[in-house]
Amino acid sequence: MSHSSFDRRSFLKGAGGLAALTALGAGGLRNALAAQIADDATWQQAKGTTINFISENTPPTTAIAANLEAFKKLTGITVNITQMELGALVQKVALDFGSGRSAYDVIYADPYQIVAPYRQGLTDLNTLNGKNGLPAIPKGVGDFIPTQLGAAGYFENRKSLYALPYDCPTMIWIYRKDLFDKYHDRMAADLGFDPTPSDKITWEQYYRIAEWFNGDHVKEVKYGTGHQAKQYDSLQCDFSNVLMAYGGEYFNNGDRVGLLGSAEPGPCTLDQPAAIEAATFYQKLLKIADPGSTSWDWTGLANAFGNKRFAMMPQWHEFAGSLESGDLKGKVGYAPLPTGPKRSVNLYGGCGIGINGNATGKQQTAAWLFLVWATSPQTQLAGLKSKAGGGTPTRTSVYEMPEVQKASTPPTDMPNMLTADTMKVAWQPDHIGLRPKIPSWNQADTAVFTELSRMLAGQKKPAAAMKAAKRKVDSATGA
Amino acid sequence: MTTRVKRPGQGFELAMMTPALILLAAISLVPLGTMIYMSLSKVSLIGGLSLSFAGLANWTRLFTDPDIGASWLRTVVYFVATVGLEMVLGTLIALLVHSLIRGRNLVLSLVLIPMFIAPIIVGLLGRFLFDPSFGLYSWLLASTGLYEGNVMGSVGPAMYTVIGLDVWEWTPLVALIVLAGLTAVPTDILEAADVDGASYRHKLWHIVLPAITPILLVALLIRSMDALRFFAIIFITTNGGPADSTKTVPIRLYDIAFRFFDLGYASAVGLTMLAVSIIIATVFVRVLERREATP
Amino acid sequence: MTRISHVTSRVMRFVLVGLVLAWTLVPIAWMVLSSFKPDNVITSASPQLIFSPTLAHYQALFSGGNNLWHNITASLIVTGVSTAIAVVLGAMGGYGLSRIRIRGKQHLAFWIISTRMAPIAAVIVPLYLMFRYLNLLDSYTGLIVAYLSFNLPFAIWLMTAFFDDLPRDLEEAATIDGATKWQVFWRVALPLMKPGIATTTILCFIFAWNDYAFATTFGGPGTSTIPIAAAQLLTQTGIDWGQLLAIGTVVVCPMAVFGLLVKRWLVTGLTLGAVK
Repeated sequence: MSHSSFDRRSFLKGAGGLAALTALGAGGLRNALAAQIADDATWQQAKGTTINFISENTPPTTAIAANLEAFKKLTGITVNITQMELGALVQKVALDFGSGRSAYDVIYADPYQIVAPYRQGLTDLNTLNGKNGLPAIPKGVGDFIPTQLGAAGYFENRKSLYALPYDCPTMIWIYRKDLFDKYHDRMAADLGFDPTPSDKITWEQYYRIAEWFNGDHVKEVKYGTGHQAKQYDSLQCDFSNVLMAYGGEYFNNGDRVGLLGSAEPGPCTLDQPAAIEAATFYQKLLKIADPGSTSWDWTGLANAFGNKRFAMMPQWHEFAGSLESGDLKGKVGYAPLPTGPKRSVNLYGGCGIGINGNATGKQQTAAWLFLVWATSPQTQLAGLKSKAGGGTPTRTSVYEMPEVQKASTPPTDMPNMLTADTMKVAWQPDHIGLRPKIPSWNQADTAVFTELSRMLAGQKKPAAAMKAAKRKVDSATGA
Repeated sequence: MTTRVKRPGQGFELAMMTPALILLAAISLVPLGTMIYMSLSKVSLIGGLSLSFAGLANWTRLFTDPDIGASWLRTVVYFVATVGLEMVLGTLIALLVHSLIRGRNLVLSLVLIPMFIAPIIVGLLGRFLFDPSFGLYSWLLASTGLYEGNVMGSVGPAMYTVIGLDVWEWTPLVALIVLAGLTAVPTDILEAADVDGASYRHKLWHIVLPAITPILLVALLIRSMDALRFFAIIFITTNGGPADSTKTVPIRLYDIAFRFFDLGYASAVGLTMLAVSIIIATVFVRVLERREATP
Repeated sequence: MTRISHVTSRVMRFVLVGLVLAWTLVPIAWMVLSSFKPDNVITSASPQLIFSPTLAHYQALFSGGNNLWHNITASLIVTGVSTAIAVVLGAMGGYGLSRIRIRGKQHLAFWIISTRMAPIAAVIVPLYLMFRYLNLLDSYTGLIVAYLSFNLPFAIWLMTAFFDDLPRDLEEAATIDGATKWQVFWRVALPLMKPGIATTTILCFIFAWNDYAFATTFGGPGTSTIPIAAAQLLTQTGIDWGQLLAIGTVVVCPMAVFGLLVKRWLVTGLTLGAVK
């Protein structure tokens, strides 16, 4: 730990220098910081190599793709980026591993769909970090937000490091600030409590706020709440916030199974009273939600919010960037999700990037250099400013940079940072929600969202749905 | 086959077939063998592909998996509805286009467009048209009061929509094939019927339809093969939901193979699909042959 | 028949043609129209017919690193070559199969077409392993071979039916005149088969052109076809509807013209063929 406190101090110094360097313009800044990480010879050691990076179509990758020239200039390495939808990516990566090849050297490693089932296919990054003349991760792994490093980087224990935290979409409460401001007093009077979104509001109160908006009080929106309840991964994510807030868990020791993961999680606990209570509430909530909800995944939901169909939604925080660039600019508010009988839960959906274990020699060296660069503070800062998209940083140090802190209040050139205060809370161990990280997660996920979809369609009662889900999860995990 | 020309051996015919057969065997028998072998194994992808013999485990699971059974029922509905509608509508459109005197070429080439658009794009176009917040068709349905709910998010309408998209894409293919058949119906027969004062319906039932039956079966065979194979439209729109209501066997197979990577079980499911296709095709081909035997 | 019923049937025909065209064309027209709309109009809650048109989506499609020309080229190469091979081998194989006299001929014919029935998701993995072994992944050759797996049996099947239909007199006359079998095939049978070849070509082209599943598994950055480009517009943060509609338009317009040009061939081709 002494190491990381040293890093922190040295970083703060760096941050001061950073502010000064900003004046030099982005190019100068990048080179100066790259020089802090390693010297030119170290950066250039895999010159002339070409590596392939397979990634989900996600904002940080879009920003990096727009900035690849800088990496090529620094290292002489050519990076080909292939972006695709997550399902197609998992298929490609699994086939790559299964056929023992390294068509993709750098892999966007979803903790649940890639790290948990296929971790043996990934290189242990500890064997590269600062070893054999390779550069070390700037500021050490301790600079990554601890919950994210645990969830995205490790499996079962902290011996092998499979991936570095790369992006960090997390579900929060996104709402129409303009409407909540305008109707605050009427709502407070009608409902009997202060409706301002925060983790002090309970899910029951969230329901009542949604119901209030459904009534004839407002012309601006038709419905109170919208959800990503398509029979898909998004439905499981949306439900997990409620489930864990009510004290329900997928498995015993949910915290451990969520953070580090487990190959043998034991029997599924979705049939326990707290989980059934959560499902009952979720069914009730979806009955008054925008009826479009059952066909929306997260993108459909964000679109509908942009179309002013409803006043609030549980949604991934990285949508702030696109919402703040549409006609809702300045009218959107962010808060941690409501609290349940147990706590407020904000589901984490971040990913790391790792290196294909079949990559060897120069390929592996080049892949490591790319990892160091792509997750470095300066690249994350550039991502925040990128016009091409950009995600939110996974490093504590970036959030502490003065210019980033300044950007968390409007007007801002880093719209994603408007969520910064919310995220600081959401990523605390007592606020973050972590799905089970188990090798058979895809089967378990499918069982859960299929049963939930049946429940929402009115084909099953909450208790029956949860029991059926438990049965299927157990048969998938072999418990 | 009563030809009087003396034929010396069949070497030439064999030589003509050989390249095609060798290539076909390579790209079909090897995968088929692999599938059969995998269906008897437990397949693991981690650390390189490895197979361990599992006996009939995948097959017993296949016959006890209630989800697969439910998917087969949905597949029957989907199959009968899409292929049935495509055949009926395709034939009607072909008759209509055939009866046109002016503008026939123009109408036909417009009607054919959908089949040139990849199913994946058709599916996305469907999502665009039926999106509850900005879809043109959702808006039309709601403003005419026909359906106010969420089309792709409700059990029932979701299935009608994916069937509708498939019918939209592939009816043109059937229409085209049937039209070709109609063009071959000798016009003098039709004209003779006209002189006799036969009604249109009479002509249709007793002259036209019997004449085009073989080609209808060809169209039916082509569409049946593909109705079981193609899954892109459902995959990109509902992906089986809501409440599994559009989860046909190909979609479930995709899940098993590429989301769960349970490749042994996937092979067993795939082989049953192949068997079903072959049975359907056999029936159609038998009917076709019987038709041909009786001129 | 009476004049009145004649008029009614004409009106009926008009109405029906209108209905068929509306069913087919409204989605396409809406797609083409919307591809010229700015993003916020595309997803506006009520359909907009009046807007200030923009070419932004087309510019985005045809500029930058992910230029659609690459995808169009890849689609044309893969579809074109696989169709050509399928038709050539299909014509030869179809002729051979049609003229050969062996026992179990129907079984052979049925086996050929049954290879086209294998479910896509199940054959992908064996083919993937095969291609990996032969180093054909992310190559045009790999995709061409993959498309042959469904187009070759289809071509042989269709061409056999066409050749079965061809009157034998001319071939027999040529044989008596001393022509070799190859000359009979090349000079007599094949020229008569032009419409059949056109039909086969077009149908094979459609099936390869429309494929997504094979292209996404066996293809890669160097071989992304148009359907892959379309699917890549589905991103984590949203579907780029503008570009998607533009891709749709780019695909549809040449096809509409193409359809107009080849329609004659298609109809006459099918007439000569499978119909007895």
